[in-house]
Amino acid sequence: MNIGKSVIIKGELSGSEDLTIEGQVEGKIELRQNVLTIGPNGKIKAQVFAKSIIVQGEVHGNVTASERVDIRDNGSVDGDLSAPRVAIADGAHFRGSIDMQRAGAKPGEMKHGDGKTTESKPAPAATAAHSAGTPTPVR
Amino acid sequence: MPVTFKWGARKGDIPPDTTPVPEPAAAVSTSKVLPRVISALAQRPSPVLLDLGPVVGSNIAFFGDRLACKIHVEDLYNEVEQYARKANRDGLAASLVGRLTHPDESIDGVLCWDLFDYLDNASGKALATRLATLLRPGGVLYGFFGTTPVDLLHYTRFAVASESTFRQKAYPATAVRRNVLLTRDINRMFEGLVVAESVLLKSSTRETLFRKP
Repeated sequence: MNIGKSVIIKGELSGSEDLTIEGQVEGKIELRQNVLTIGPNGKIKAQVFAKSIIVQGEVHGNVTASERVDIRDNGSVDGDLSAPRVAIADGAHFRGSIDMQRAGAKPGEMKHGDGKTTESKPAPAATAAHSAGTPTPVR
Repeated sequence: MPVTFKWGARKGDIPPDTTPVPEPAAAVSTSKVLPRVISALAQRPSPVLLDLGPVVGSNIAFFGDRLACKIHVEDLYNEVEQYARKANRDGLAASLVGRLTHPDESIDGVLCWDLFDYLDNASGKALATRLATLLRPGGVLYGFFGTTPVDLLHYTRFAVASESTFRQKAYPATAVRRNVLLTRDINRMFEGLVVAESVLLKSSTRETLFRKP
């Protein structure tokens, strides 16, 4: 399903199939079980809920996805994101907060790059003042 | 596309080389302090981070994946740049603090990067005081402080590559003189926080981790 460039919707938009928006929507968008794509020409001023959301255009409003939010190059979001996985491309614009908190996450449980989850060890005790200014091979 | 040179060919006969020139890879730097930052945050239940730099997708993915956290992105470099273009820092302190409307003691970690290098003393003090207020007890603040008084001609995007490395990528800035802070100035500026780790890098930058007692 595609909403074309010339279409302007004010109100609530909901459905049960994947949707691409190239036009303008103001209000609320709900596609809880489906993928929502906001195309390069899409302009959204709305609260957005979907399974997965791809942003190539502009969004003003909070964005919630049960699986993933993907802000592509030249995509723009002014609002808060909430999703277990968020990808933001270089060149994308974002202002707001990103909530990737997982229900049931325990303190001290840290996931490593290989996908394995381990209990992280407590940080060593803080040094009283500055540690020795050891030059390190950086920069 | 390879270009074959022909003897006698005129310049116009040679097709232009349209091969895209790859961007130089950002240098990877090793950090002794970053693992401490991550370890400290991993101890906290559902940590809340405040990133004062421009949004970096790989950082969002990294911290989100490792810590399952909430991240507030407040690009204060953008604020600094606006005042630098006006060549007038009157109001910068209020503008920076005004962006941080989060409740007191609601943040577990602040990623300052090298923001304080671009601030005058008054703006730096105002911002540091606000950040100390925002941190929860036990929360941490991570920053870099340059030690050489030079003109800063670019901002740096810090992208965390692993638990102990990051990449730096420059992007244009209106030139400002770096505000060099001595160690005692830094301690005074971040009153209420204690220095948990401080390492002088080869680049003459001090990488510092503060903790709120």
